Amino acid sequence: MSKELIISGKQYWRSLDQLADTPEFRKFLENEFPDSLDEVRDPVSRRKFLTLMGASLSLAGLIGCRKPVEKVIPYVIQPEEITPGIPQYYATTMPFGSDAYGVLVESHEGRPTKIEGNPGHPATMGRSNAFIQASILGLYDPDRSSTVLEKGEERTWNDFISFWNSRYSEFIGSRGEGLAVFGGQFTSPTLARLKERFLSRFPNARWVTYEPVSDENITEGIRLATGRTLQPVYNFDNAKVILSLDSDFLNLESNNIANTAGFSEGRQLQSEEDEMNRLYMAESSYSVTGSMADHRIRLKNSQISSFAAAISRELGSMGVVVEGASNIDFNLSDASITKFVSPIALDLAGSRGECVVIAGRDQSPYVHALVFAINEALENNGTTINYLETEDRSLSDTNGLLELVGAINEGSVNTLMMIDTNPVYNCPANLEFRNLMEKVDHTIHFGLYMDETGVLSEWHIPLAHYLESWGDARSADGTMSVIQPLIEPLFGGKDLVKIFNLIANGNDGRSYDIVRGTWRRWLSESNFENEWKRILHDGVLPDSRSGNVRVRTDTASLRRLFGTYPQAETGGIELVFKPSPATFDGRFANNGWLQELPDPLTKLTWDNAALISPATAEELGFKNNDLLSLSSGDWSIDIPTWILPGAADNSITVDLGYGRESAGRIASSAGFNTYKLRTSFSPWVISGVEVIITGSKYDLASTQDHWSLDGRPIVREAGILEYKDHPEFAKEMVEHPPLKSMWKDHKYDEGYQWGMAIDLSLCNGCNACVVACQSENNIPVVGREEVEKGREMHWIRIDRYFSGAEGNTSDPGVLYQPMGCQHCEMAPCEQVCPVAATVHDKEGLNNMVYNRCIGTRYCSNNCPFKVRRFNFFNFTKDTPEVQKMANNPDVTVRSRGVMEKCTYCQQRLTRAKYTAKLENRELRDGEVMSACQQACPAGAIVFGNINDPDSRISKIKQQNRDYRVLEELNIRPRTSYLAKIRNPNPEID
Amino acid sequence: MSISEKREKQVYTDPPLIQGDPTFHSITEDISVIPEKKTPTWWYIAFAVSFSGMLMLLGMIGYLVWEGTGIWGLNVPVGWGWAIVNFVFWVGIGHAGTLISAILFLLRQRWRTSINRFAEAMTIFAVICALVFPGIHVGRIWAAYWMFPLPNQMEMWPNFRSPLLWDVFAVSSYFTVSLLFWFTGLIPDLATLRDRAKGRIKKIVYGVLSCGWRGGNRQWKHYEMAYLILAGLSTPLVLSVHSIVSTDFATSLLPGWHTTIFPPYFVAGAIFSGFAMVVTLSILARKIFKLEHIITVRHLEFMNKIIMVTGMMVGYAYSTEFFIAWYSGNEYESFAFLNRAFGPYAWAYWIMISCNVFVPQLFWFKKIRTSIVPMFIISIFINIGMWFERFVIVISSLANDFLPSSWDYYSPTIWDIGTFIGSFGLFFTLFLLFLRFLPMISITEVKGVLPQADPHFHHNGKDNGKAGGQG
Repeated sequence: MSKELIISGKQYWRSLDQLADTPEFRKFLENEFPDSLDEVRDPVSRRKFLTLMGASLSLAGLIGCRKPVEKVIPYVIQPEEITPGIPQYYATTMPFGSDAYGVLVESHEGRPTKIEGNPGHPATMGRSNAFIQASILGLYDPDRSSTVLEKGEERTWNDFISFWNSRYSEFIGSRGEGLAVFGGQFTSPTLARLKERFLSRFPNARWVTYEPVSDENITEGIRLATGRTLQPVYNFDNAKVILSLDSDFLNLESNNIANTAGFSEGRQLQSEEDEMNRLYMAESSYSVTGSMADHRIRLKNSQISSFAAAISRELGSMGVVVEGASNIDFNLSDASITKFVSPIALDLAGSRGECVVIAGRDQSPYVHALVFAINEALENNGTTINYLETEDRSLSDTNGLLELVGAINEGSVNTLMMIDTNPVYNCPANLEFRNLMEKVDHTIHFGLYMDETGVLSEWHIPLAHYLESWGDARSADGTMSVIQPLIEPLFGGKDLVKIFNLIANGNDGRSYDIVRGTWRRWLSESNFENEWKRILHDGVLPDSRSGNVRVRTDTASLRRLFGTYPQAETGGIELVFKPSPATFDGRFANNGWLQELPDPLTKLTWDNAALISPATAEELGFKNNDLLSLSSGDWSIDIPTWILPGAADNSITVDLGYGRESAGRIASSAGFNTYKLRTSFSPWVISGVEVIITGSKYDLASTQDHWSLDGRPIVREAGILEYKDHPEFAKEMVEHPPLKSMWKDHKYDEGYQWGMAIDLSLCNGCNACVVACQSENNIPVVGREEVEKGREMHWIRIDRYFSGAEGNTSDPGVLYQPMGCQHCEMAPCEQVCPVAATVHDKEGLNNMVYNRCIGTRYCSNNCPFKVRRFNFFNFTKDTPEVQKMANNPDVTVRSRGVMEKCTYCQQRLTRAKYTAKLENRELRDGEVMSACQQACPAGAIVFGNINDPDSRISKIKQQNRDYRVLEELNIRPRTSYLAKIRNPNPEID
Repeated sequence: MSISEKREKQVYTDPPLIQGDPTFHSITEDISVIPEKKTPTWWYIAFAVSFSGMLMLLGMIGYLVWEGTGIWGLNVPVGWGWAIVNFVFWVGIGHAGTLISAILFLLRQRWRTSINRFAEAMTIFAVICALVFPGIHVGRIWAAYWMFPLPNQMEMWPNFRSPLLWDVFAVSSYFTVSLLFWFTGLIPDLATLRDRAKGRIKKIVYGVLSCGWRGGNRQWKHYEMAYLILAGLSTPLVLSVHSIVSTDFATSLLPGWHTTIFPPYFVAGAIFSGFAMVVTLSILARKIFKLEHIITVRHLEFMNKIIMVTGMMVGYAYSTEFFIAWYSGNEYESFAFLNRAFGPYAWAYWIMISCNVFVPQLFWFKKIRTSIVPMFIISIFINIGMWFERFVIVISSLANDFLPSSWDYYSPTIWDIGTFIGSFGLFFTLFLLFLRFLPMISITEVKGVLPQADPHFHHNGKDNGKAGGQG
């Protein structure tokens, strides 16, 4: 009915209906425009719907995948000195072979989190290296041994003491007959005192010190030349010319931090007027030191002795007579090597008393004796090189080891105590230590890990980490410092002092008292407590450096010695062993930070490889990742190959310290055990090694696939003469139109404006900054597979480029460029983030807001430096509980799916600003350092307020070498680089 | 032969668009019968395969959410991989539908009527496939909605300077308008199906979907107006959506992405790939459903011509890129393009060039562009080539950018591949459902291009009828 009405209305009465607004017309409207009427009639439901929609969307977000918040427990009674949130710093010492590094350890509420060098300690001077930085992770290693074991059965420390006491009383009777102690090196007054006590109590016992990587050849060479055991200490800051014979003194040799600091001092340039030192490096593989060389002489390791002899003869012809060296016979005919001899000798002779000749620990004692004589002739001894008494040191002695092995084989050792050493893993292969273990009745192993030796020993006692220990140490120059614990032993380990004391005195004394007992010798009786506290606070005993010894060479004995100078074996392929920049001799094998640390030259992680020159690889038909079988005598190993430009032809270099069988989760999957080829008669170089390609492949994980700069002005470099001619060369290398913006720029001219400068002349690629950053910023370790996929997380990486003529892969130069976030003022990452998770602050920092980040990775794509790192997985998910204690509480631990990158150590800036504000002052220049800057042993990184014209950073950025990478993109990076300057000898082309 | 007869022969008249002397009724019958008859066995098989693919996609996404973006082959520098390639690929495919619906409608290209319905459907399903990827490719999928400007207590808005945000708006508005457009066009046909429906459920469902369509004059009037307005709204969207997608790349500073040519080049590429996909699907559909008289070779030839033109536009863009890279004198730019052609991804580049530039040149030959099998093969090649175009752009630019130290190689994992295959599963699942339950060709519009629809049909109907019969 109504329908009909509407139809009729529509046909005849539409306008009237409209006019009258009849119910019929309303109905019609409803029919015609149902949607809009609906909206008018019931506005609430629609709004309500949208509200609910919005609410449910945000609820969906709230419930999704958030990590549970763990319970935190407050101090019920707050300890007096600790303010929660404010870290404390303690001085202690990291013993390392015959070295000792004074360090300051940052401790948060009783848990150490970060290690820095101790500015007052001569071996670190506030700087550090990768090993020091990474040692904090070793403290929290969950794979460390935690129980006393007897034949695999759990025992207690007291069980061991009662076992030892019964042995002890027996040995007292026999004056130590059949007792042997086998330990690592140490340089500790207390340990030396206890060792002495032991030997006086048990005169028939043996004490053998051996480490696979030691300065034994160096001290032996000096002993041959002078008749005394002395410790050389170098003053590179005074050296104008340095000749290194395979000595990686900037990275892996002893006392490397002080060496690097001194060497860098001699290479500091303020302007083109300044002078710099010159480094010659003769080596077979490419080392960090070699990459800093102004001239690198590429030769087989076995030829280095001849090269040293050639230098000495050439010096003689210039009137610099090297004692006893005149009759050395050598053969060196390769013109590519001999061309260097005369200019180098001339350079050295021209800088008498201002040069250094140094040889590596893998050179024979003959070479070291000759080097001593050369330095003597060049008047360097006493000026650029000092020789110090070796006080309180127990140094590696291979002969002692051989005697011990002989004694074990004879059956005259019934109790063998192995302290902080792992002979089954790292002793020379020909000694077959694994079999020797069965020939001793009682084998007792004290170690941080239940390692290869531990599992074969009758007793295993967990050792305390140095951060859990009381002790003391002497640095390379003899300066004394205390080792004080930062934390109670996490796994119940016992420190060395306690163990030495138990062995020597048969009682379980307190390490603290024993160490203090030693120090009563040097501290005044009356004021002992105060002076002791002072030392604990400062970390060092002032003026405790060992005295310089002025020694002369003995011409007759040198002449006799050099009569049997070794001849280079020229034929065949040689195999050279080197300590690893990651695991050293294997002691850091279970350290994830170091395993994932790219090798400075090869950029390999997680594995060692047979490094081989491109020409030799081509000749033998090897490619990267080919698994080789290396054999020498009765021993052989399989190891993948990696081609290293600049390596000497017919020379293969392998790193020690990998292929662990029993050392923890991380170590056991990494690398190949090269100790299996190493013998006591050729510990460093094997001539005529047999190389067979097995046909299988092993994928090595390298963090840098491309090796060349392809002519791009990313790293800028010049010789010093070019620099003098074109002081502005670094800036002139890129031409670009005027850089203008479409909008009004932010000025950044108020308050603090942070900036960084990195001096490429000083950076030697040692990686200290990388580990320091990892430690400071809680950067996760991702593992080999992830590194292979290109997902390593380092916030700062060191780019390594080979340079030289096109296609010259045989003898290229090497350039390093530390690369972290450049904090561009016009940051390309910020513009593209859809959720504004990366933004600028008013101090010029490019900040990353993890909470806001949804992980589009667009910022990384648009970053021209590719320094942003993405959490592809929840990399911290499986972090063991104890290892979480190594985290810096000031820095967020990032979860899955967010981007992260260098923050210029914003947490340090914030803390420093708070402190300054509380003290009602401005921040002082240099008061706040980024972690990379603080760690850098070369002092290559400078950070500070660029808005202060008097700050160090502002002045450095004024230098003509200063340039910014990719400046032409108008991104205005805050990090700039100082162009690399080399100082080649104009006499050598 | 008389002069008048001669003259009549000389006058060119378009052959009729629909063949086989159809009537209004026969058109209704031919098209409506497809969703009405018993479901054929092949459909079940095809659906089972597609649906498995879709389930695989869901599984892939589930594992991705569970485990993390790392299951894909991405790394630093290659932060975007197959997910973004697939996104751009599917969005590109989704271009033909709206182009046919909107631009060809406005330009009165009446041949579109036979293909517009399923081209539009294809568009919608392709955009659905595309929309899967931006959501799942982020690291924290559960927070992806932060890209929407939702009011919140922190007053935290998205970053309106980011092209990814523009994408969100561009693609979502494109999807909305396309869906509305498609549905609007469907209403009269849904009413036809409703009227013919026998089962109760069908009656209800089609009844609801047809929104009370009765075919009254007033309804037609509004319908036509709505359709025209939507066509007008869609037209700029056709151009904007892929232009905006291209700004994801063009506004960055990465060599190989930072290119002003990208917006028109992407649009041309999108139309190119979209038409190729329409050709692929329509060849199959007309064969299976015996609709050769409605989707004639002439329709296919029209599309092939468009493919050829847009293919040449794309080829021109490729060469312009190279020229500009060289002409700019910028070493990073020059390297990026040389690296594409001769670097580690050269294989992908030459697949792209062969499929997109060389293969479509075969359409110069009338024989080829009017033969079913060759054009089917060529359309498949173009689909492959256009996927590789996105692969080359996204990956080769990222893998080798400014600093040689950060260069790396990207390889997909099985999860990348599975997700891509799964997206085809989703697409064909939706498409098969569409074929089964909706009229795949616009009954209304096809009737509109029949000679009978001409108001003057009866005046000289005989001649026209003859012409229709002859053609």
